[in-house]
Amino acid sequence: MSGEVKAIFEPKSVVLIGASDGGGRSVVSPAFFHSLVHNMLCFFKGKTHIVDLSGKLEGAIKNLNLVPKGRDLAVVVLPPKLVMKNWRKLLDRKVKAMVLVAGGFDQQQREELARGATKRKVCVLGPNATAGAINPARGLCATLERGLMPSRGGVAVISQDGAVGTAILDWACFYGVGVSKFASTGDGIDVTEADLLEYLTRDKETKVICIYLESVRDGRKFLKSIREAVKKKPVAVLKGNTARGEGKRDKIFAASLRQVGALQVGDVEEFLGVADALAKQPPMHGDRVAVVTNVGGPAVLVADAISREGLALARLSDKVVKKIIGKYPDINIADWVDLGIGAKGDQYKFILEQVLSDPSVDGAVAVNELKLSFLESEDVQAVAEAAKKSKGKPVVSVVMGGEDCTLVREALRGRDIPVYDSPQKAVRALGALRSYGKTRARVEG
Amino acid sequence: MGLVAAKKKVAEILNSIRKDGRRELMEFESKQVLAAWGVPVNRTEFASDLSEAVKVAREVRYPIVLKITSPDIIHKSEAKGIKVGLSSELELRQSFGELIDNVRTYKPDAKILGVTIQEYLPPAREVIVGALQDPSFGATVMFGLGGVWVEVLKDISFRLAPLSAEDAREMIQEIKGYPVLAGIRGAPQADVNALVDTIQKVGQLVHEFPEITEMDLNPIFAFDDGKGAVVADARIILGEIK
Repeated sequence: MSGEVKAIFEPKSVVLIGASDGGGRSVVSPAFFHSLVHNMLCFFKGKTHIVDLSGKLEGAIKNLNLVPKGRDLAVVVLPPKLVMKNWRKLLDRKVKAMVLVAGGFDQQQREELARGATKRKVCVLGPNATAGAINPARGLCATLERGLMPSRGGVAVISQDGAVGTAILDWACFYGVGVSKFASTGDGIDVTEADLLEYLTRDKETKVICIYLESVRDGRKFLKSIREAVKKKPVAVLKGNTARGEGKRDKIFAASLRQVGALQVGDVEEFLGVADALAKQPPMHGDRVAVVTNVGGPAVLVADAISREGLALARLSDKVVKKIIGKYPDINIADWVDLGIGAKGDQYKFILEQVLSDPSVDGAVAVNELKLSFLESEDVQAVAEAAKKSKGKPVVSVVMGGEDCTLVREALRGRDIPVYDSPQKAVRALGALRSYGKTRARVEG
Repeated sequence: MGLVAAKKKVAEILNSIRKDGRRELMEFESKQVLAAWGVPVNRTEFASDLSEAVKVAREVRYPIVLKITSPDIIHKSEAKGIKVGLSSELELRQSFGELIDNVRTYKPDAKILGVTIQEYLPPAREVIVGALQDPSFGATVMFGLGGVWVEVLKDISFRLAPLSAEDAREMIQEIKGYPVLAGIRGAPQADVNALVDTIQKVGQLVHEFPEITEMDLNPIFAFDDGKGAVVADARIILGEIK
């Protein structure tokens, strides 16, 4: 990498370069350019310069040579031909970093771009970085999808592919999962996933790093940067292109991730699910999971999922059982703690606090069914309270159902408790926290 | 042998193969490399004809294993190019011609250099350790149980080289067939520690010598706990010279 990655995510000034009129031939670039301009004017807190090479956009700079030199970041939405034609002029602007959004560059062109980046010490993201770069904390929304701005949070996302990256952001908005940084790497002629990992490892806002890959460049460097990252924060990887090729190479990829302590996930939804938990909850340091529920059947499914995930149901100590029964004599404590359908927030809070204080418990699942019970979405706040007070033990909530889960998620938006719509997803999240707990124990020796 | 001496010895063997214009090591050459690197192998001596074989067999001591040595025969047992447990010179004399004939029938144009006389190993659980150079990640080690476990069930595990003892142990425990090594139906555990050591050494070897593009130690005899693990057959292939 040639320059400083920081300028991609934390620019004070940004230059947007495109052509608002494709001359009737291309509509793709101009449409995306308009979206990018909209996004930056709408969200960005720093200074934005707009350059329209077709000279039609009102108030925009028409000539690259008139752009003030030394700005932090340039986002270029031009087709390969125009990028190559203006490459020298672009370099002459002496920006610290550049995002090349368009794809379709051939090998020779990519090499020319790489040479220019190295020679002039500009940090280049892309080309083919179609989903651009996002940093909610600074209002940086250098992406082509109009209005796509996730809320601020701890999940960093790196995606080789723009569309998968955008889909991850879409899920993040849908689930209310906060994002710290986002970047699509595309062809990666200069900035690679490993470079971004190094930056994100140091980034204070980032609590977990998620990476979508289709191919691995410089495998050993990539793995080394993960090995460093997991000492500070968890790393989750989703790999595309695994099923059609040679099975052996996928096995080697999976084994190498395991060896360096990264977590591999199977799809985008699982990605977001585990990332939310890893960003909001502490790692789990043992296998024993307590289940606190207000209904029977869903707890059975949670227990099944716990066993499938290789975790175990916790057995509460006599002292804690006595304390709970002392206050709520009707509560049934067997494989799980069944509060009964009448349970409200105060009961959940007290009992979860007791359960989490038990040395024979490493983490907890709270089952919060609204249907067939007297529980309301607001009551689930109590679970967030209890989780906040638990010292170093993770808690996740499951509301098995579509609409009810959405209600609870809304009620808990901004709280540090992940909420899942199925037992499987909730327990998978705990499994990820357990896996990171093991990684931490290993790296801390 | 210290690490420096071992490196020098291995480099010497590999260079002499290169000088021959070959990329594939014979079994006895592969075992020389392994032995130099501290991986236990059964004693394996080359003999170019019967009289030499008889002489060598006296040194190795009966019972012995007799195997064909030919650059054109990759699967020696398929070519009926292996005789196990010959217990006397008489048996060796009888088997020698038969072995050559078998290979001739299997592949008439095969170039036969001679045979190897090998120390006989008592039956044990059989495992495979392999190595390859992955295009993305470089030197990689493979582990599995012998026979159908690998060939049919693809029950294998991988780790990148070099590996820690913990990595090696994990890759042994990760395969589905692990209970076979841990001991089922009253059988004692196999010598997992010895396997950990072999896996680590193989990892170091391919890490130090990236020109080794493929390595197949198959089978390795894993004896009961405390009794070690010994490589019974081995194949090393070098990459193209760039």
